[in-house]
Amino acid sequence: MKKIFTIALAAVALLSSCSKDFLTKEPALAQSDVLTLSTFEGIDKAVAGAYAPLASTSWYCGDFILSNEMRTMNGKRWVQFTRYNSGRYLEDYSVNFTATNTSGVWSYGYYVILSANSAIAALDNVEAPEQDKNNVKAEALFLRALSHFDLVRTFAQPYNYTADASHLGVPVVLTVDSEAKPERSTVKVVYQQIIDDLLEAEKIIDPSYSRKGVTDATASANINSIRALLSRVYLYSEQWQKAADYATLVINSGKYKMWTPDQVASIKDGEFSSVFNQDVPAEGEVIFEVYENLSQSYGGGNENVCGMTSFNGYGDCGASKDLLNLYEQKDVRGLLVMPDYDGNALFTMKYFGKGLSSIDANNTIVLRLSEMYLNRAEALINGASIPGATALGDLETVAKNRNASVQPATKSGVYAERAKELAWEGHLWFDLARTGRAMTRKDVSGTQVPTSIEPKDYRWAMPIPDREFTVNPNLVQNDGYNK
Amino acid sequence: MSKKFFSLALCLFISIGAAFAQTRQVSGTVTDATTGDPVVGAAVQLKGSTTRYSMTDALGNYSISVPADATLTVSMFGYLGVDVPVEGKTVVNITLKPDTRTLEDALVIAYGTSKKEAITGSVATVSGQGLAEAPVSSVDKMLSGKLAGVTISAVSGQPGAASQIRIRGNGSINASNSPLWVVDGIPVLSGDISFASNTSSLLTNLNPSDIESITVLKDAAAASAYGSRAANGVILVTTKSGKEGDAAFTATAKYGVNWLQSDAGFRMMTAREALSYQRDAIVNAGMDPDDPTSSYYRPLSILQGKLYNPIRDFTKLGQLQEYEISARGGNSKSKYYSSFSYHKNDGTFYGVYYEKLQGRVNASYKLRHNLETGIRLNYAYTQQVDVPMQSLQYANPLWTGETSLPWDDINHNGDWSAWSGYNGGDNPRSTAKYDDQRDSNYRINATVNLKWTPLKNLVLETKESIETIFMDSRNYFSPLAHDNTTAGQLETYHRTVNQITTSNTASYSNTFGGYHNFHAVIGQEAMRFSSQSTDTYSPVVDPNMPYHNTADQTTTQISQSFSEETMLSFFGIADYNYDNRIFVQGTIREDGSSLFGADNKWGLFWSASASWNIANEKWFKNNVEAVNLLKIRGSYGVNGNNGISPYKAYGLYGAAIYNGLTGYLPSQLENRVLSWERNKTLDFGLDFGILENTITGSIDWYNRKTVDLLLTKQIPQTTGFSTIFSNVGSMKNTGVEIQLEANIIQTTDMLLSIGGNVAFNRTKILDLGGDDYLGTNLRNVVGMSMYNWYLYDYYGVNPSTGEALWVTEDGSLTNQQSKARRYYAGSPEPKAVGGFNLDFQWKGLTVGAAFEFKAGNKVCIWNEHHYLEDDGADMSMNKMYSSYNYWKQPGDTGCNPKPVAGQTTNSNVYNSDRWVEDGSYLRFKDFTVGYSLPENLCKKISMKGIRVYVSGLNLYCWNDVNFWDPEQGVTGNTAGQYPTTKSIVGGLEFTF
Repeated sequence: MKKIFTIALAAVALLSSCSKDFLTKEPALAQSDVLTLSTFEGIDKAVAGAYAPLASTSWYCGDFILSNEMRTMNGKRWVQFTRYNSGRYLEDYSVNFTATNTSGVWSYGYYVILSANSAIAALDNVEAPEQDKNNVKAEALFLRALSHFDLVRTFAQPYNYTADASHLGVPVVLTVDSEAKPERSTVKVVYQQIIDDLLEAEKIIDPSYSRKGVTDATASANINSIRALLSRVYLYSEQWQKAADYATLVINSGKYKMWTPDQVASIKDGEFSSVFNQDVPAEGEVIFEVYENLSQSYGGGNENVCGMTSFNGYGDCGASKDLLNLYEQKDVRGLLVMPDYDGNALFTMKYFGKGLSSIDANNTIVLRLSEMYLNRAEALINGASIPGATALGDLETVAKNRNASVQPATKSGVYAERAKELAWEGHLWFDLARTGRAMTRKDVSGTQVPTSIEPKDYRWAMPIPDREFTVNPNLVQNDGYNK
Repeated sequence: MSKKFFSLALCLFISIGAAFAQTRQVSGTVTDATTGDPVVGAAVQLKGSTTRYSMTDALGNYSISVPADATLTVSMFGYLGVDVPVEGKTVVNITLKPDTRTLEDALVIAYGTSKKEAITGSVATVSGQGLAEAPVSSVDKMLSGKLAGVTISAVSGQPGAASQIRIRGNGSINASNSPLWVVDGIPVLSGDISFASNTSSLLTNLNPSDIESITVLKDAAAASAYGSRAANGVILVTTKSGKEGDAAFTATAKYGVNWLQSDAGFRMMTAREALSYQRDAIVNAGMDPDDPTSSYYRPLSILQGKLYNPIRDFTKLGQLQEYEISARGGNSKSKYYSSFSYHKNDGTFYGVYYEKLQGRVNASYKLRHNLETGIRLNYAYTQQVDVPMQSLQYANPLWTGETSLPWDDINHNGDWSAWSGYNGGDNPRSTAKYDDQRDSNYRINATVNLKWTPLKNLVLETKESIETIFMDSRNYFSPLAHDNTTAGQLETYHRTVNQITTSNTASYSNTFGGYHNFHAVIGQEAMRFSSQSTDTYSPVVDPNMPYHNTADQTTTQISQSFSEETMLSFFGIADYNYDNRIFVQGTIREDGSSLFGADNKWGLFWSASASWNIANEKWFKNNVEAVNLLKIRGSYGVNGNNGISPYKAYGLYGAAIYNGLTGYLPSQLENRVLSWERNKTLDFGLDFGILENTITGSIDWYNRKTVDLLLTKQIPQTTGFSTIFSNVGSMKNTGVEIQLEANIIQTTDMLLSIGGNVAFNRTKILDLGGDDYLGTNLRNVVGMSMYNWYLYDYYGVNPSTGEALWVTEDGSLTNQQSKARRYYAGSPEPKAVGGFNLDFQWKGLTVGAAFEFKAGNKVCIWNEHHYLEDDGADMSMNKMYSSYNYWKQPGDTGCNPKPVAGQTTNSNVYNSDRWVEDGSYLRFKDFTVGYSLPENLCKKISMKGIRVYVSGLNLYCWNDVNFWDPEQGVTGNTAGQYPTTKSIVGGLEFTF
């Protein structure tokens, strides 16, 4: 009897001790987060993957660019263009958003932030050379900063909406927590976090680092993309000297050079060509872009920028005559606004497609050299100073490479050059917002379409998605929108 | 625990011995009168004394001190009690005759057996006898309508099809709703394992003839010994064991036919009807059916052309054959039962074929007087060949049969081949002939056990079991069957499933002082399940050699899947009863599952129950003679449900391809606290038997509340995800079940008995974790039943215009479908389910009839109906006959809207209540007439028995559902399913 119990007890003890392993069955075909983030190689791949959602049709390869352009005088829904007019982008063109049809950047932005946060938190616990860890961490910090930046400029009023930027921004998320119900931080706090992330990334990254194995080197972060984004963020938050300093660092890096007028757009033997449509950028202006390819996880599709702005695709997002009228006859950028075959509508050519697949794709440029000149010119006009640089000189650099007349070194001059140079790259809406100018347009179609939106209008900030309020009681909706 | 009781028992024996030292010691063996086996645990008592008492040990031996002239009263459950005078002897061997009536009441329960009287929980049982005659391929089909509270929904009538089994309603939204099947003490895999075939039940490997009995454990008390997976009830199947005696053989042969038939008058329009309908529709559209230039050219001369009856052309008389032989026998040391069967069913649709080879050996051997080992082995090979059904596609013979116009040239080339002018280039007859869509399963279940009785009343048993399935599937699309392609397309699939289980128990039972009966089991179980598969797809293969070898290897795609699940459990069961009057039982079980979060893998489940057998109280017995069983019982307990797919608790990363690199992206948030869904069931029941058990029955009331529902919970997107899989929400099922049986005539020559059962269950969703409802057209709604149709409100036809009318939000009528309101238009949940049966025996003649019914449920066959009654929207399809009743002139009401060729008013929108029908039915499920030849006649040809019988399955179904069969499954909604067919089978059974 005793023996039986001894054996039984031993068996139970043995079973309980190995039960933890016995009851742990890791998935083999999708990796557990613990496993993925337990090695440097895993984290490195997690950061490589964290870029992927940028190419979603809700973000840089779609709605984020299209919606911003359609809300400005750059965009137009050509109702005459009935061949492929699908009814998309009507709300964007009418600047008529509700909490149920708002921007998808909310979900994708925080998705990339989750990916970045997971990687950043895990890096401390793995063995690898310090610099390797720092390089990957810098990329994650860049992605977190870019995501917070796109979120705050989409869902909040511009930085100078209140004198001390104390108005509501977006929740700043720095940790992985599925239970979190964060509040919205002030715009000032959000910008400070973006700047802190970028400054840390700048500090720790190896200046010569570039992610290995990529198809398009400009589609992953390096020291210059970090600095270029810093220049933009400082510009948006009106820290003029720093905006100029960081633009200068990028300009002086010697890594980039201005595109020639021919590169920007040319028609030879009836064939249109432009650097905007290349698959992988050759040496030139691109500092950071989002790479699009149909075989990617976020592979675009019919609803990508290419399809929506092309008379070969849906073509709902046309370009307006207002935009075309900005350009002088000799300005090559005028060639980037083209009519369709029947001459019924105008379209931007910046996303005409790479011609590599039947549903075509086009990279979306996020940061490029001419923006750095324009950032610096604007900063200099606003009081910054850089030895050897002038606003006029910077404006000249841009204009002469476009066969265009030079704009005066004034605020309106630099705004005008920015509008011409960065049209359809997702800048204008935010530039108008941060500089307190009204959006006005003459060439509109449809009766419900506003011809102007005044500064401080509630519509400069998009509504936060409705569903968030049912699951996060700490959120507050933007003024002017129903929950 | 056992140790303490053991010493207590020892003390009792010592004291008994001391008190009666002056009397003589009598000993002996108690054996079974028919088998000669020792009877263990029989009570040997001095007649008239409640204190002088002994029990037989594992060898059937007893020893008792009694006066020399004493009489011993020997009793044992399952046997007729006897009084044996000692007559001065010191050795008195006693034989007990089995009590056939009470033996029927012996129930297999969780980790043991029990007599019906002693059961404190809610169970239902059905004996294997008679189950085997019905022409069904799977055991679950036989239970339909037989057990109160057990609903078997046959979604498909196809041979080998899986069914939906619900015990006491739906208790879960995302996790499994299916009960746990336990065969001979080992949980087995159940459900649908189809890949290339439409549906393939895992239960078909059990041969109905091998089954001794089936017990269904319904409430927490009965089921919670299987804690973790018992939430949806447990079905215990016991297969036949060997019997001591000469080898007895049973050989049967069956042949039968099955066919498709609607008992509700459903059919498609004839050519004449269809043409008249179409011509009216064309005129209503303002066109001329006799205009040869019109796209709707439908001259009356069509009727002079080649015409078909497509349903008839795509169906045939199905045929089934079944042959089996079994042997049963044994001696005092070894016993065996073995069987082998072959089953073949050629379906009612061309290309549907099912074949099964199956064998079983149940053998046991006594190694030593207290040590026994045994093996239970079942193997099965099934091959299921199918054509595409279960969706509305061109190759579906039923759907194409329904939609082909009678003048469509189905047999254009005279060989039913596919041609471009018909049905999108597909012909179901050529699909059946040239395409290959098959699942072959090779399945082995084996359990080896060792049973040791080291001490009197203590049994230690270990069961080691392996269940392995090899599956081989092939899906081949031949260019010969599809006009639009020249290449073959091949997909092959191989899957290996393996489940290893070890179950180890120690059970102890004893009686103290003659009145205190105690039984306890402690045990441990561990299970490891794994499944891996490889799927190979070649978009282009050479039709002359349709294998992957002829494919362009660069286009061949291969994918693998792998999943694994483990469970570890410890449990204890304790029963106590006082003088067969008061019974109490407690169970406790702790389960750990790999499916759940790192912090919450373990779940504790338990139950407590009690019953009071009033009829065994003296005061009752003496006053109410007519009632021989009156028992009230109550139970409460908590069971779990882990019926979710693996890895739901993990934070996961999936592959993310970007910019030339394959990186990772989070694909699922971790939930460290993900845990069991819990069922809390309260049950009160009453069992009764009156007039010597002429009428028996039981009534149960229960309240089954499911908490911690496994649902996807909405979370802020600032977390990076919008949902996380968690334990939120709750729902409940309440109901009443009644089961009654009456032996109206019971003589030596004649038996007439009737029985019936009915269950009323209501499901109510209490909380969905913040959501008001889930789903779009078929919704789970808080405060309502599990499934509710949320549909557009169709009013009927406008008597003056013939247009469809809709009810708007403010209650007014409109002819614009887009302005119709939506409302909750009913639920497929039946208000009552049940069945009744009649058995008659007179000498060698037996007649059995079984009916089953469902009442108060709605069905909504929108998938088919919105095409087959579309008011002219699609003129290329034939319509069902009920469409022929349409508006023709002002004043017509109660009919379909007027057909308009190519109508675009959306009057046939699929999600409208126009398609909701009362799904109630009464089915004449089974009718069997058999005759056993007289024994003396059989003896002449050296047979023990010969029996001939004819059995009909699903002979008639009273219902008003405008379709082939009213059965539409748990969701009341199917698409292109193989309907339930009708069968008649004749059989011959020889025993020798």
